[in-house]
Amino acid sequence: MQNAKSRIIPAALGLVLIGTVAFGWSLAAGHPAAAWRAYLVNFLLFSAIAQGALVFSAMMHTVHAKWSRRLENLAESFAAFFPVSFVLFLGLFFGRAYVFPWMHADLHGKEVWLNVQFLFSRDGIALLVLYGLGFAYLYYTLWFKVDAYNPVTGLQLRLTRLWARRRPDPEKYKHRRYVFGVLYLMAFAVVLSLIGFDLVMAAEPHWYSTLFGAYTFIKAIYVGFGALLILAACTHASRGTGFLLSQSEFIDMGKLFFAFCLAWADLFYCQLVVIWYGNISEETAYVITRTMLAPWNRVAWAVFIVCFVAPFLILLNRRIKAVPWFMTCLCGLVLIGMWLEHYLLLGPALAGHNSASTAFSAGDVLIFLGFAGLLIAAVTGYLRQFPGMLDAAPGKAEAEGTD
Amino acid sequence: MTNHDTHITALFADDAQAAAAVGALRQTQWPVADVHGPIPSQAISGALGIKKSGVGWFTLAGGVFGFFLGYFLAVFTSARWGLIVSGKPVLSYIPFFIVGFEFTILFSVLANVLGLILLMRLPAHRDLPRYRPECSADRFGVVVSCRQGEAPEVRRFLTELGGEMPEPADTQRDL
Repeated sequence: MQNAKSRIIPAALGLVLIGTVAFGWSLAAGHPAAAWRAYLVNFLLFSAIAQGALVFSAMMHTVHAKWSRRLENLAESFAAFFPVSFVLFLGLFFGRAYVFPWMHADLHGKEVWLNVQFLFSRDGIALLVLYGLGFAYLYYTLWFKVDAYNPVTGLQLRLTRLWARRRPDPEKYKHRRYVFGVLYLMAFAVVLSLIGFDLVMAAEPHWYSTLFGAYTFIKAIYVGFGALLILAACTHASRGTGFLLSQSEFIDMGKLFFAFCLAWADLFYCQLVVIWYGNISEETAYVITRTMLAPWNRVAWAVFIVCFVAPFLILLNRRIKAVPWFMTCLCGLVLIGMWLEHYLLLGPALAGHNSASTAFSAGDVLIFLGFAGLLIAAVTGYLRQFPGMLDAAPGKAEAEGTD
Repeated sequence: MTNHDTHITALFADDAQAAAAVGALRQTQWPVADVHGPIPSQAISGALGIKKSGVGWFTLAGGVFGFFLGYFLAVFTSARWGLIVSGKPVLSYIPFFIVGFEFTILFSVLANVLGLILLMRLPAHRDLPRYRPECSADRFGVVVSCRQGEAPEVRRFLTELGGEMPEPADTQRDL
């Protein structure tokens, strides 16, 4: 089993290599639009997964929940993807001609907001703030979990020295953990809204929906919780770790996942019904292209069934939520549905008048695998640095009753 | 057939203790006659081996029925008048979803209450002679049936499990 564990990072890096080669091949083969579209879609999806998963931990600490301790440990591991996400965001600059179709369009006065320099500045700062708050929250929450007298890895040793330099006070650290948790949640809503407006909605610069920001961050929580469930189920099934979840923990996590499935569908419907009633051509064209006209209408139905109808009908059942392998499959399906949903939102805008670039190719799948490899490597790397997070035994916070 | 003519009530501070006591009692010859508590507890239900309530099925059936009834009502009334409002089709299925949703909630609630009444066989014109007021505050009461001569042994057993033995109202002989 130890061998299997040690193979995860090389396998993940192998996926990264495959994705990189596929991306490079697409560029070299004269399909830069398809390559950059895949890059943008996967950057948005995997960043949302990492950002949304950390929300679980921050949210649970904010409401002083105690049932979710073991899941929080796993949720925090997704923060390891934050630096990767930021670098990937900067990488978008090189594909700006393909991912910002408004660059050479007549924006009718929107140039003040929609220009590359300002967009990269504000979104870059916003992501730095979000990730900074996430790491600050992690800094204070890890103090309760890492054994300061016995740091077992290099990163733990460095953190222990940092904490020792400032003479940690449990009450102060607990308060700061709470404050940074709340700040992260607030920043999450604001920053994800901004990213949704700038990188997704602005692809059709004359279309707008004021609910699009809320839709974006609820979607991030939905996919984040889905990925967390997959990680929890896989770790639970792995005999190499002492990590075990009870049936009720799986059921409660499944309920939360179900709740955000409903919240996501609700925000989709809220936008749809308002646009339907308004019946203004500048708003309806966006919806008609994506839901009624080929080829995107098929993708729209697939997304609707995979991300809402199937989870809704299946998760009504209580017992199914406690079956780890089934929840892994269901959450994986939802993540794939959300991947398609990003294509649905961005595809028609990025395709322009070139109908050939609407088609999916093997390159899209391989680039997806590359990004998935990055996330897997980051999360596994974190859990290697903090192996105590997978212990069945309670952490310092529980043992000392500091919460 | 054993003649259990006496009932003893032990009070526990939390549901976990009460559930543990129920589990231990089920290993003995003294049956658990009843359990009273201020809140519902899955742990106690599990220890008693009570099957999941069927009320949920009533709720689900009510919800599904309500959803289609709401849609049908919206379609039926629109078709009866046939008025075109703001250029929209007479049968506008997208906003009709709101009516369907509201009816889902309404009929789920109504069916839930109906299921509760039917499955609990309400109204129940009977008293709870062994009920203690502490069970409406902060205690869980486990009522055990036994023979009169076994009462001291049962009390000792329950005390060892962490139960409080309120005297003297805890021991009641069946009339």
